[in-house]
Amino acid sequence: MNGLLMVAGREIRTQVRTRAFVISLLVSALLTGGIAFAPKLFGGPDEYNLGRVGGQELAVQALAPEAKITWKTYPDEPAATTAVLDGDVDVALVDGTRVLSNGEIDDELGLLLQSANREAQIGAAGVTVTPLQVQSVGADTRYESARQGIATVVVLLLFFMIMSSVMVVAMGVVEEKGSRIVEILLISIRPWQLLGGKIFGLGVVGFINLTAVVAAGLVGAFLSGFATDFPPGMAGIVVSAVAWWILGYAFFAALAGSLASLVSRQEEVGNVLQPMMMLFLISYGVSFFASASPDHPVAEILSFVPPFSSMIMPVRVAASEVALWEVLLSGGLMVVAVAATLMVGGRIYERAVLRTGRRLKVSEVLRTK
Amino acid sequence: MLEIRGLRKIFGAGKVALDGVSFEVPAGQMFGFVGANGAGKTTTMRIVMGVLQADEGEVLWNGRPLTFAERRTFGYMPEERGLYQKMRVGEQIDYFGRLHGIDAGAVGKARDALIGRLGLTERVNDTVESLSLGNQQRVQLAVALIHDPELLILDEPFSGLDPIAVDVLAEVLHERARGGVPVIFSSHQLELVERLCDSVGIVAGGRMMASGSVEELRDAEGRRLRVVVRDPKPGWADGLPGELSKDGDRDVLTVVGGDDQSVLRRAVEAGHVESYGVERPTLVEIFREAVA
Repeated sequence: MNGLLMVAGREIRTQVRTRAFVISLLVSALLTGGIAFAPKLFGGPDEYNLGRVGGQELAVQALAPEAKITWKTYPDEPAATTAVLDGDVDVALVDGTRVLSNGEIDDELGLLLQSANREAQIGAAGVTVTPLQVQSVGADTRYESARQGIATVVVLLLFFMIMSSVMVVAMGVVEEKGSRIVEILLISIRPWQLLGGKIFGLGVVGFINLTAVVAAGLVGAFLSGFATDFPPGMAGIVVSAVAWWILGYAFFAALAGSLASLVSRQEEVGNVLQPMMMLFLISYGVSFFASASPDHPVAEILSFVPPFSSMIMPVRVAASEVALWEVLLSGGLMVVAVAATLMVGGRIYERAVLRTGRRLKVSEVLRTK
Repeated sequence: MLEIRGLRKIFGAGKVALDGVSFEVPAGQMFGFVGANGAGKTTTMRIVMGVLQADEGEVLWNGRPLTFAERRTFGYMPEERGLYQKMRVGEQIDYFGRLHGIDAGAVGKARDALIGRLGLTERVNDTVESLSLGNQQRVQLAVALIHDPELLILDEPFSGLDPIAVDVLAEVLHERARGGVPVIFSSHQLELVERLCDSVGIVAGGRMMASGSVEELRDAEGRRLRVVVRDPKPGWADGLPGELSKDGDRDVLTVVGGDDQSVLRRAVEAGHVESYGVERPTLVEIFREAVA
């Protein structure tokens, strides 16, 4: 165990100290934080600055409770005109009868002002208008679009965060094999300690990355106010995404580490990882599909089948309501799959990593001792 | 003591790499492993270090089959050097020391002593990739020595070193041997092997052609008498064993074995004896003979 931890320690120190790690951490954190802000920039609540010269304020706020309305008063029309032209206010209302705007008036704002004006005049005439009541006859879909957005983020997050860490494992295995460092390493430690330490250490590094990205995203969402749209159980969604990342990473890293031990040159890594990439891309494709149709039978069934479940289940959890027993069952199956992959992968690694030279086949490695 | 008994190794394509290699290296001995490229030196060393499995034969350490725990105390410098290129020299040496089970405090002390000895002190914070090949080799050696190994196996440790580095390395290896550690190294520099080693093994085609101390090998080769006679009477050497060659007005007679005194008498009678002596074959000559 000690040897494994020493190997892990080296991997962590080596990775964390590289400039590439620091830069990618910052960039991905900034990017995620920025994306969490995006709804505010593009689809966030409207914000109107209105000017007034004489007359009364119109009850615009009552018509658009989401919007942020600010009124400013100006002493005379020329001052208001300057304010409109300078962009200090979007429009200015003069004596409650005319609206000064810079060119065409914003459609929505125009409607708001007209309705407010109408209501004010009708009210003045002593007539009250009962607003129409809206009643939904479907399910509660308030959070549907938010859930779908979050599910998409989970898909992308898992895709990038699993793949980037797994590739570092594969490259590291080949680096050690190709340079024959492994011949010296294996004098003092066992193959499982070397592979296990590498998977564990790079997993810690990946976890740091993931946590930074998730934290940046959440902070961004809270700062931008997007967090108010979070569906209930958001904490569970986050925890499940992180937990499934751990399982998915462990599975694919064990697979990548053992497959990479079959080759001795970095150029061959891409080729030898193809079977793993297939599994991974299928998981990715179906989980993307599941983010839009979380209850489709294909998504439902594959969310129990390792390793697909590692990406599909967290997406289903985000996109819809999934019973706890389903999550636990799927998680249990995935843990078994991870253990099995670590065992078989460890055996392949152990037998292949000292056989430098040409690319080996899994079958010949398992056949010979 | 390390004993190698009847190692056989056949590679995939039916190529016999080792065909019954046996030898032993007692404590405190320096053993030089010589042989042409592909003779089986590296294969033998890799089997001892557990990098390869032998098809037959065994490796004994102090009379018992070598275990993983015992091998962990060995120092190994493989034929193809392997270091983490982007890791700093000091950290790299420490890391391997720690993997061998040395605690952090002791590793720092051992590392400082070692890099001072090997002239790497100013390079301790440089990455390996920024070093010259000669210096990388010194780091490789430091990695093999950091845990104060109980046996040293070095594959071509002298290749690519400048003469000063060769002297430093030779001295370091001697120290270890004097401390009771068996040292095995391979080299193509036969003069070096002859100068440094207590015993030598000559391999060819996967077989140990000759092994023993340099003295023993010379004795096995036989004493060689060389007589130089100026202006000899023609035909003086007729009937004597050995080879006669002419060098201007001198005759040179080389005799292996035989009665040296009668040869001397005949030479004195034949002319002016310029030199007379027993010649010892060099390792180069023994090697050529053994491999031929």
